[in-house]
Amino acid sequence: MKRTVEIVWIVLIALTIFAYLLGKLHLASGFMVGVLLFTTFIKGQLVIDYFMGMKNVSLKYRLIPTIWLVVVISSIAVSYYL
Amino acid sequence: MAKSVTFKEPYPPGDFAIWLVIYIELVTFGLMFLGYAFSRHADVALFNKSQLLLNQTSGFIDTLILITGSYLIVKAVNLVKNAKGEQSVKEANQKASKWIAASVLFGCLFLVNKLLEFSDIFGQGISLDTNKFFMFYLLLTMFHFMHVTLGTIILFNIFRRTKASAYSAENTRGIETGAVYWHLVDVLWIVLFPLIYIIR
Repeated sequence: MKRTVEIVWIVLIALTIFAYLLGKLHLASGFMVGVLLFTTFIKGQLVIDYFMGMKNVSLKYRLIPTIWLVVVISSIAVSYYL
Repeated sequence: MAKSVTFKEPYPPGDFAIWLVIYIELVTFGLMFLGYAFSRHADVALFNKSQLLLNQTSGFIDTLILITGSYLIVKAVNLVKNAKGEQSVKEANQKASKWIAASVLFGCLFLVNKLLEFSDIFGQGISLDTNKFFMFYLLLTMFHFMHVTLGTIILFNIFRRTKASAYSAENTRGIETGAVYWHLVDVLWIVLFPLIYIIR
């Protein structure tokens, strides 16, 4: 799709505004932290796939940054909800 | 119905060496993120109280700058990837140079914004010794700052190469190498921003 990069950029900006508003409105605690971390994963994966160009790369290489993202974000969630 | 077959590149874009650097950076930052997260777990009250002294708006602006910088670089890379023939290569490089120049500007904006934030923090008498939260905050953001500095220098060199029409569909390794490094810096900040500035 020709406008994919623009759409990805807009989604990234929108999710960043969402995160900022959660912080500003003092809503970034409890359940919403899980939501925030999920959107963080989406943002990271979008950059990896569409900006780094890993979407069109052999799965074994594509998975390395994705696994990093999953491990780091899951561990942050575990440390928060422990 | 005929299935469409998508061709997958065997290797990631850019030089192999940059991917070794990227993997090392991911592990290093990953460990520091987890160090922060589990230290916070051990003293939530201190981390929440200290976090109130941070400027969330500054962190938000930093995120917008990095994401937009990444977008600008993708535009430049796509231009030179489709450049074939002498005239087309020249035109693509000239157009790409403008996108790269804008991304260098965004890199500089990030650095200026961060310096203002650090100046505000140090102005409050905060240092690495203040407490564990600020030790992690300063360590992570300053380490990241060094990466943005290097990324901006790399982008400036790519800008000079585009001015010399150095890239074409057959020669994208240099620009892709610089681009993936910048995207790494972007991904790291995408995790750092909510972790340190937002989560309470």
